[in-house]
Amino acid sequence: MIPTVQTEHDFERGVEVLRAQIDKKIASYFSSCVHCGLCAEACLFYTETGDARFTPIYKVEPMRRLWQREKTFWGKLGAGLGMLPEVTEDDFAEWQEMTYDSCTLCGRCSMVCPVGNDIAYMIRKQREAFAAAGYSPEGLQGATRRALEIGSPMGLTLKALEAQIGHVEEETGLEVPMDKQGADYMALLSSMEVINFPEYIESLVRIFDAAGVSWTFSRKAFEATNSGIQIGDSKIAAELVSRVVNAAEELGVKYVISPECGHAYTAIRWDGPNLIKRPYKFEVVHILELLDQLRAEGRLRTEGIETERLTFHDPCQIVRRGGVLEPPRNLMRMVAPDYAEMGDHGKMNWCCGGGGGVSANEEAEELRLKAFKRKKRQLEELNVEGLVTACANCRIVIEEGLEHYGMDIHVTGLTELLAKHLAPPKGKAEGG
Amino acid sequence: MFLEFVEGPLWYFSAVVFVVGVLWRLVDIWRQPSRTDLAVPRGSGVPGALRTIVTRSWTAKGFSRGATFHLVAGYMFHIGLFVLLIFAAPHVKFIEERILGFGWTPAPHWLFMVASDLAFAGILLLWLRRLMHPVMRKISTFDDHAAAILTFVVMLTGCLALLKSHDSLRAIHMLTVCLLMVYFPFSRLMHAFTFPVSRAYTGAAMGRKGVSA
Amino acid sequence: MTDHPSRPAIPSEPRQHGVPPRVRARITRYLLALLAFVLIAPLVPYAAAYLGAGNVPNPGAGLWNEVRQRAGPADANTQARGVESAVLINQVGERWRQFRSEMLVPVGAWLLLGTLGFLALFWILRGRIPLEGGRSGQLVPRFSVNQRVVHWFAAILFVFLAVTGLVLLYGRFVLIPILGPEGFSATAAACKEGHNLFGPIFPFAVLAMIVLFLRGNGFNQIDLKWFFRAGGLLKGHPASSGYYNGGQKSWFWMVVLFGIAISISGLILDFGVFGQGREVMALAHVVHGGVAVVFIAASLGHIYIGTVGMEGAFESMSHGYVDANWAREHHDLWLAEMEAAGMVGVEPNALEEVKRHDNIDFKGFGSPGTKAVQG
Repeated sequence: MIPTVQTEHDFERGVEVLRAQIDKKIASYFSSCVHCGLCAEACLFYTETGDARFTPIYKVEPMRRLWQREKTFWGKLGAGLGMLPEVTEDDFAEWQEMTYDSCTLCGRCSMVCPVGNDIAYMIRKQREAFAAAGYSPEGLQGATRRALEIGSPMGLTLKALEAQIGHVEEETGLEVPMDKQGADYMALLSSMEVINFPEYIESLVRIFDAAGVSWTFSRKAFEATNSGIQIGDSKIAAELVSRVVNAAEELGVKYVISPECGHAYTAIRWDGPNLIKRPYKFEVVHILELLDQLRAEGRLRTEGIETERLTFHDPCQIVRRGGVLEPPRNLMRMVAPDYAEMGDHGKMNWCCGGGGGVSANEEAEELRLKAFKRKKRQLEELNVEGLVTACANCRIVIEEGLEHYGMDIHVTGLTELLAKHLAPPKGKAEGG
Repeated sequence: MFLEFVEGPLWYFSAVVFVVGVLWRLVDIWRQPSRTDLAVPRGSGVPGALRTIVTRSWTAKGFSRGATFHLVAGYMFHIGLFVLLIFAAPHVKFIEERILGFGWTPAPHWLFMVASDLAFAGILLLWLRRLMHPVMRKISTFDDHAAAILTFVVMLTGCLALLKSHDSLRAIHMLTVCLLMVYFPFSRLMHAFTFPVSRAYTGAAMGRKGVSA
Repeated sequence: MTDHPSRPAIPSEPRQHGVPPRVRARITRYLLALLAFVLIAPLVPYAAAYLGAGNVPNPGAGLWNEVRQRAGPADANTQARGVESAVLINQVGERWRQFRSEMLVPVGAWLLLGTLGFLALFWILRGRIPLEGGRSGQLVPRFSVNQRVVHWFAAILFVFLAVTGLVLLYGRFVLIPILGPEGFSATAAACKEGHNLFGPIFPFAVLAMIVLFLRGNGFNQIDLKWFFRAGGLLKGHPASSGYYNGGQKSWFWMVVLFGIAISISGLILDFGVFGQGREVMALAHVVHGGVAVVFIAASLGHIYIGTVGMEGAFESMSHGYVDANWAREHHDLWLAEMEAAGMVGVEPNALEEVKRHDNIDFKGFGSPGTKAVQG
């Protein structure tokens, strides 16, 4: 049975789900927190607004209250005496903004907590309850419904993808393999790439052709993004992951390639097996990992370098929360040896402000643009002409932010940049 | 009389509550559900956990500016408290006679003075920031203030009893110590025991992803 | 002798001293000069009477004159090595004791009680100085988190040291009747220990106060007018002032001067291991006690006007921002500056945000002569 998106408010169910989220980690985290407030300094929603409500640990206050009432001595005693306030439906209504609008699950707070609390993990857990109670943003609900019903959060159909692939085949003169049984790699896409950045598909096709990679798309599952993860509904997330897993296992591929999309990588690489409760029969690689491997094997060769002053924006879910730390830097150096690093780069990079479903949430738009001031300042310090990233969502959010603040910096994807400098294959170059 | 009571029955009661309470809290965390990670790890969890237990003792690279106050006042307080707790001469004597049966060289007077000044200045600064900073004010609960004030009172009564010439002063200190020990397992003070657990959970999860957190 | 190559091989000055003789002599002179007016003057009639009675020589007089050092430093020698081990009877000790019991204790008590009485009278006559215009609801940031933390840090230490210090000074008279001798003994022991243990933190608090509050505390002509109108405290509309008014500036400089004096004298008294003799200790105590009593009396006025004495004042140090009407009534020139900088009616923690992001020279924010804000 396909799960559905909870749109009606159901507070009782929310509390029930919230209670079920409290695991060893959460209990340990709440026991350890001394309310030092350091996490606020790591969160761009706090630093750019100065609003104390956006202190990361305060965002999980409903969960803390429930934990205190039901899992601690004083809490039980206080609750028994009626002295401790209950978690109310009003709390859910009030905290929806803190749970969704002002958190991209970027996990920067989790890197600075002195007692080691993974606050992003806690907020992700709280989203389970809020999604179950129907206290989630309409934009995310719509995206999730479209993902379930149409197969893509942006409402992209297979027909539209095939049309784009037709264009790519015309453009490159290369055949795009579809449903190729027994290929080594099955590539996934994010709707954002198909609709806004089809250059990614073209780049993939050209690089894989040049490197001689045996690969394919699947007609059954091409969408990598996972709205279930963003809204915080594990059942929906599991359904979306299982579509990819089933398709990949039917085709018998050895690897599935996660595209230039942050949450897609977290969903399919790290959360997926836990969501469907079994390991995969294939491995998941991020496109940057694969490209870095091709580079190391000498199968990906580029020519020429960028003359513009460039920088690289680390997508949170790929770098900090995904562990793909070195590949983007190795690849950047191939085509832009002198690219500039931002002040806090790598695993401490600042989020674009639109991850974790925030960019799909219209209510959060004003806040997101405020939070973008952090990225703006980082870019102004560098004085760059171009920004490279590896996440279609970061890319669109940054482009919107730059436009809003009237900044003249162009944004591109790393795979695309590499394809631009792709050296012709040795054999072909010599032959023709 | 009163001293005999606080150093006798009350002390034993508090010690039992403290030990049993702390153990119960740790076991209670252990009792909560958890699931094994089925994703193929990139790195190993154990080194990640150990690494994070150590590395969270200082700030992440590039983060020290926003954390200077926490770092300075936090270490002042914790180092001062540690020296007072473990190396103050009356404490060493008490530990030797009442708990372990052996002692060690206590801190000289000048070190005691430095430690107590650091501890007091540190806890005062931290607590005042809790009262003054909008973020701290927003997130602080009754427990945060109670724990800070109680710890402060225990340290103060201890230092005032330093001359060891008056039983009444010693008794007041012991009384506040007993209060603190009874309050400890049910409060924010538990972080003294759970912080390595939290660091280990996060460090392991991040280590499996290949990120040193 | 290798320790003191500059000294002659056979010391002409036999007494062992950590403080150089010249300095000691100067300190002694100062001390004597200070005490002369106080002590010698009333003795003049007795001396006259004594001299007039006829002078019969006493065989032991020469010895005792030497012991009492009536004709200057005694020519005494000893093998004992220690601070002032060659001094048989310390002249200064008796004078210090007299100063403490006959000057410091009674005059200090009158000063403190008088200040309290004055404040009570002021409260009865003037009452709480109200916000004439009521509350506007518009907030103006005034003190940063760091300024407030440091203020309260110093304030808590000050109160602790003042209370323990006063117990040591007046406990005999005030507390023994209440607590009894044993109760007071324990209290005094605790206060002595606490005062000596935590006193050394106070210099750091004073230093932090100077660093965070110095800017904007220079006197100028506006302050003259302010003093001329007695700060508008008595009646009528208040006197014009900038970020700080004349009274606040005076209090700041009192904190600086008294704070430094009380810190140095306190450290001399607390750490008696650096060879300072009784004369230095006595002088340090005279300074410490005298300054402390004046400092405490002045602080009562500061506490009064910052809490119950004036509506809308306390929140500047508790929450860091004030009502625009309060600023208009008490710091009109500063409010004008803040209005020009667009800092009126901002979010409560705006000051922190300004500091964090816009690289405005924060310490002088809103104080006279700040260019960064206006520019």
